[in-house]
Amino acid sequence: MLSIKGLLVSFGNRQILRGVDLSLERGECLAIVGESGAGKTTLGLSIMGLARGSAAGEISFQGKNLLTLSQEELRRLRGKEMAMVFQNVEDALDPVQRVEDQIAEAIAVHRSISAKSARDMALQHLLFVGLDSKKARMYPHQLSGGERQRVLIAMALVNDPDLLILDEPTASLDALTKADMIRLFRSAILGRICIVITHDISLASDLADKMAVLYAGRIVEMGSAQDLIRAPRHPYTRGLIRSYPSMTATKDLQGIPGRMDHGLSGCPFHERCTQSIEICSRQVPPPQERDGRIIACHRGGIVPLLEVEGISLSFDSYPALSDVSFSLYEGETLALVGESGSGKTTLSKVIMGIYRADKGAVVLEGSRLAKWDGAFYSRVQMIFQNPKESVSHRMSVLEAVLEPLQVQKSGSPEWMLKRAKEVIELVELPIDDDFLRRYPHELSGGEVQRVAIARAIALRPKLLIADEPTSALDPSVQAKILKLLLNLQERMGLAIIFITHDIALARKVSDQMAVMRKGRIVEMGATNEILLEPKHRYTRQLVNCASGRYERDDGDIHPEESLAIRRFC
Amino acid sequence: MHIDPLGEIHHDPLARIGLIMLALIMLMAIFAPILSSYSPNDYTGKIFSPPGKDHPLGTDSMGQDIWVRLLYGARTSLLVAGAVALLSSSLSVIVGATAALAGGLYERFCMRIVDAMISLPTIIVMILVAAYLRPSLPLLILLISAFSWPSGARIVRSQVLSLKERMHINASRTFGAGLMHIVFTHIIPELTPIISALMMQDARRAVFMEAGLAFLGVSDPMVISWGKMMNQALAFTYLDVWQWWLVPTGLALSATLMGISFLSFSLETAMDPRLRKGNVRF
Amino acid sequence: MNNAMRNCLLPGRDRWRSLGRRLQSLFPASVLNYFIALAAIFSINFILPRLMPGDPLQAIYGQEALVAMTDEMQAQLIRQFSLDKSWWDQLQAYVLGLLRGDLGFSYYYREQVSLVIMGALPWTLLLTGLALIIATAIGLILGIEAGYKRGSYLDRGLVAGLMFLGGFPDFFIGILLLLIFAVSLQVLPLSGAISPYAGLEGFAYVMDVLRHLALPLTSMVLVQLGSIFLLTRNTIVTLLEESFILTARSKGCTEECIKYAHAGRNSLLPLTTATGMRIPNLLTGALFIEIVFSYPGVGSILNTAIDSRDYPLIQGILLIVTLTVLTANFLVDLLYMRLDPRVRYAH
Repeated sequence: MLSIKGLLVSFGNRQILRGVDLSLERGECLAIVGESGAGKTTLGLSIMGLARGSAAGEISFQGKNLLTLSQEELRRLRGKEMAMVFQNVEDALDPVQRVEDQIAEAIAVHRSISAKSARDMALQHLLFVGLDSKKARMYPHQLSGGERQRVLIAMALVNDPDLLILDEPTASLDALTKADMIRLFRSAILGRICIVITHDISLASDLADKMAVLYAGRIVEMGSAQDLIRAPRHPYTRGLIRSYPSMTATKDLQGIPGRMDHGLSGCPFHERCTQSIEICSRQVPPPQERDGRIIACHRGGIVPLLEVEGISLSFDSYPALSDVSFSLYEGETLALVGESGSGKTTLSKVIMGIYRADKGAVVLEGSRLAKWDGAFYSRVQMIFQNPKESVSHRMSVLEAVLEPLQVQKSGSPEWMLKRAKEVIELVELPIDDDFLRRYPHELSGGEVQRVAIARAIALRPKLLIADEPTSALDPSVQAKILKLLLNLQERMGLAIIFITHDIALARKVSDQMAVMRKGRIVEMGATNEILLEPKHRYTRQLVNCASGRYERDDGDIHPEESLAIRRFC
Repeated sequence: MHIDPLGEIHHDPLARIGLIMLALIMLMAIFAPILSSYSPNDYTGKIFSPPGKDHPLGTDSMGQDIWVRLLYGARTSLLVAGAVALLSSSLSVIVGATAALAGGLYERFCMRIVDAMISLPTIIVMILVAAYLRPSLPLLILLISAFSWPSGARIVRSQVLSLKERMHINASRTFGAGLMHIVFTHIIPELTPIISALMMQDARRAVFMEAGLAFLGVSDPMVISWGKMMNQALAFTYLDVWQWWLVPTGLALSATLMGISFLSFSLETAMDPRLRKGNVRF
Repeated sequence: MNNAMRNCLLPGRDRWRSLGRRLQSLFPASVLNYFIALAAIFSINFILPRLMPGDPLQAIYGQEALVAMTDEMQAQLIRQFSLDKSWWDQLQAYVLGLLRGDLGFSYYYREQVSLVIMGALPWTLLLTGLALIIATAIGLILGIEAGYKRGSYLDRGLVAGLMFLGGFPDFFIGILLLLIFAVSLQVLPLSGAISPYAGLEGFAYVMDVLRHLALPLTSMVLVQLGSIFLLTRNTIVTLLEESFILTARSKGCTEECIKYAHAGRNSLLPLTTATGMRIPNLLTGALFIEIVFSYPGVGSILNTAIDSRDYPLIQGILLIVTLTVLTANFLVDLLYMRLDPRVRYAH
C-alpha cells in the first residue's frame, strides 16, 4: 500500500535522507526511531509532500508516485487519504480559532458539505476522542496538552485517511495522559497504514508491530518491534535501547560514544561503532535481510565475540564443569552467578587457558582456540578479586601498567609510556609523577583495582573477565568501579564476563545472566527476564535470597532438569 | 549564534542607499559655507528669481537665496537629529534598564508613565509648551527628547528583562558577580544593537518633528529650518516658484528621513534572525 | 471568628472577586493608562500658563488676545476662572468649567473653544477613519501576499516601493499630490472639504465631499501604508514558520485558506496592537495633511490658533485630540480582545 524506494531528500547541499526503503501494508504500524537529526520528521514530511528541499526516489501510495504529483494533487490527498499529527502540541493548533471550526475546516476542504453538517461531524469526531461539545467550543489555549493532542488526532482522523503519520505524539505529555493517548492511538491506527515517529522506545513497542531504526538518513535496522527491542542486532540499535530508561531493563543506562555526523563516507555509524573494521569507512553497507530482520552492517550486526561450546572438566573424576555452552556478543556483559564452588571461577580459568578442558571448545572471534598465545592475551584480559594480590607490591603504578605493554612488545618505549598514561587517565587516576611512582601499599583498595583495570585494558582487549572485582571493596568504592567498567564498555565495546555471587550486583551491570550450580549452567537468558520470572528453582532461591526473602527451598535439582530449562545458548 | 548586525548591514543594498543619502546630506551640512557664495540671511533684493547662475535654486519671497538656506537647513536637521538621538536614547536606556533591573513598585511606576505618554498626541503637547515658552532650538531639542524616550524605554526594558533570564547571566550570578559587573560585561554589550536602532528611530522622529513643528509655525525664529521654508513656500503654490523652492526642500527633508529609515530597517532585519533568512535583496 | 462564620463570608468575597475578574475581562487593563494620560494633559493645561510670569489672564490668553478683548469680557473671564483667587480656587473653577464642557473662549473665532473644535472634529474623524480603514485593508492584503511569497519579485518590489513612500514626511506627500493633481493637472479641488456656495444636496453632495477628500485621503493612505505593509509582511514571514500552519497544510487546506484564514487572521493581532500605538501619530499626521489642503478639520484650526497665538484654542485642541486618541485606543483594545481569544478567555 505504501512503499518507499530509494528516497533521497536534501535541503540545500545537506543530505537529510540518503536512500530509505520501506513498505507497509494496510493494518501495519511502523515505528521509526532514532536520535534527533536522524531525519525521522523529514521522512514523515516527505510522505506528506510537505518537506522543504528536493526529494528523489519513489514514494508510492495508492498506486501513485507521490513525488511526481503536483502540489494541488498532493493537497487533495493531504488530510483526506493521508494525515499527520505533529509533535508540537503547544503551537500545532491555530490560536485564534475554535477547535470545532478547525476540525470542520478539515472536513470542508475535501468535501462539498454544508457548514452545519461539517460542524456536526467535527463534534462527533471530538466525542470519539473524548472531548464533549463544551470543549469543542473552546480555543486551543483553554485546553490541556492532552486535550489538544486529542483535537489533533480527531483532525487527522476526520476524513478517515488510509495513512496516518504520528510525529512524537506523546512528547510533551505526562505519564497518565500518555497512557490515555496510547489507548486512543491503538484504536485510531486500526485498519490504516500507520507510521509512528518517536525516540520513545516504549511508545514504539506499545503501538507498532514493525520498527525501523534511522541513523543519519539511512535505515540501519528494521524488523518486528518486540524482537528488535529484546534482541537488537545492530550496534546502534543496542546503543539506542541501552540509553533509553525503561522499567524493564535492569542494567544501568549507557550512552553511545561520539555524535551523529551526516557527512561520513561508508557506514554512517562507523566512527561511533566499537566493532568497525576497515571496509566500514569505505563502503555503505547494503541492507540485508536475515530471519525477517533487515540490517545494514558489514559485520552482519553485533558480532559474537566468545563462544563456549560444551566444555566439560573433571578434577580426579569430580565433575567441576559439565557441558557448559554460551556465547557472548561484542559490548555485552554476561554475569556468571552462583554460590561458591559452583564452577564460575573454574570456567573463567578454562577460558583464560589456565586449565585445559577435557571436552569442548573455546571460540574467540570466530576461530577455535588451540593455543593460548600472546595474541590471545591481547584480546582477552582478566581482573581479579583481590587487587593487592594481582598487582605486584614491588612495582610502582607506572611499572605495573607498563608491564603488559612490555610483555607484548607493543611499541617503542615512548609510545608505551604514552599509552600507559592514557589508560591511567582512562580509569580516572591522576598521572602526575608523584602518583605514578607510588607502590600498591600506598594506594587505597579502589585505586589498586583501578590500576589493575588499567593494566587489563592497556592492550585494548575486547573481552574482560572480572572475577568478583569489587567484593574486597567498600560499597561506595564498588559503585565507582562498576561505573568505570560500564563506561569502558561503552567506549571500547568491551565484552565483560562478570563473575559474582551477588545477584543484585549482577542485575545492575549485565545484559545476560547465567546461573551456575554444581558445574552446570542451570538457567541462562536476558538478565531482566531471568530476574522477573526465574524458571529454575535454584534461580528463584537466589533471587529470593537477594530480595531478602529467606525461605528455604530444600528440593535438590537434578542435572537433567537444569538442561531442560536452559533457555538460551 | 553570534550576529554582528552592524557588520551585516554593510552588505545590504538598502543600507547602502540609506548611507549614501545620509552622507550627501551631511556633506551639504558640513560644507555649507563652501558650497554657496551667499550667507543664508543675505537679502539679494530680487524676489522669486528663477534658478540661474547666481542662484542655483532661485530666490524666495524675501529675496533670499534658496540653495544656501537649503544647505544651512541641513545643519539644523542633523543637529536636532543627533542631539535628540543622544538625549532620548540615554533616557530610554536609563529608565528602561533601571526599571527592568530594579523591578517592583519603581518598575510599575515607570511603565505606567511610559504607557500613558505613548498614548499622548505629543506634537500638540510640544506645540502648546513651545508656544508658552517661546520656541528656541535648545528648547525644541529638549521637548522632542522629552516626548520621544518612552517607546524606547519600553523596548529596552523588555530586552533587559529577557537578558536577565538568560543562562549566561544567571551563570555569572552564580560566580558571585555583582550588579555592576553584570550590567557592564553582559547587558550593555548585548544592548548595543538595540540602542543603535533606537538612536536611529529617535533621530528620524527628531528630524520629522522639527520640520513638522516648523511647518506648523513653531520654530526658533533665528534658525533656518526646512519645515519653515516649506510652510512659507506653500503660500505661493499659484506661482511657478514651488518648483525650485517647495519641491527641493521637501526632497532634502525626505532624503534625510529615508536615509535614516533605510538604515534602521536594515539593522532591524539583521537583528531578527527569523527575518534574516528572508532578507530582502535588491 | 469561628469557622462557620468564615465559611459564610467566603462566598461573598468570592463573588466580589469574580465580579472584579468579569470587569477585568470587559475592560482592557490599559484603561488606567488612559486616566493617567488624561490627568497629564489636564495638569499641562492648568499648570503651564499659571507658571508664566505676570498677569494670569495675560499668561493664559496671550497678549494678542487681550488686545482684541473688551474690558467686560476680561472681567467676566477673571470671574469665571477665579483668576484673582488662589490656585486652589482656580483649580476648582477650572475643573467645574471642564465638567460643563467649557474649554474657554477663542478670541480669534469669537466663540466658545468647544464649539469651534466640535465644528471641525467630524472632518478630521472622517479623514482619519477612512484613511485608517483603507490603508489597513490595502496594507494587509499586500503584506500577506508579499510575506507569503517572500523573496519574490512582488515582495521585493513592494518592500522597496513602500519603504520609499514611507520615507516621505506626510505633509510632503500631501504637498506633492497637491502640486501634481490640483496645481499642475487641476483635476481635483485645491482646498476645502466642500465646494463653497454650491448648495449641493444628496448624491451630488456626497460626490463633492469625496472629490475634496480624494487628495488628503490618498496622501494619508500612502503614508500609513508602508508601516502596515511591513509589519504584516514580517508577521506573516514568522507566522509561516509556526507549526499550526503545518497542521493546516497537512489537513489539505488550500493556499488561499492558509494565507488568509490562518496566517492572515493571526497577523491581525500584532497589527491591531501596532494600530493602537500609532493612533496619536495618525491623528497628528492628519492635522498636517489638513493644513496642506486647507481641509477644515482640527488641523486647520490648530494652524490658525498657532499663527494667532490663541492659547485657549490650542489647549482645547490638545484636550479634545487626546480624548479622541484615548477613545480610539480603547476601541482598538476592545477589538483586540475580540480578535484574540487568549485575552478574552484568559485563565
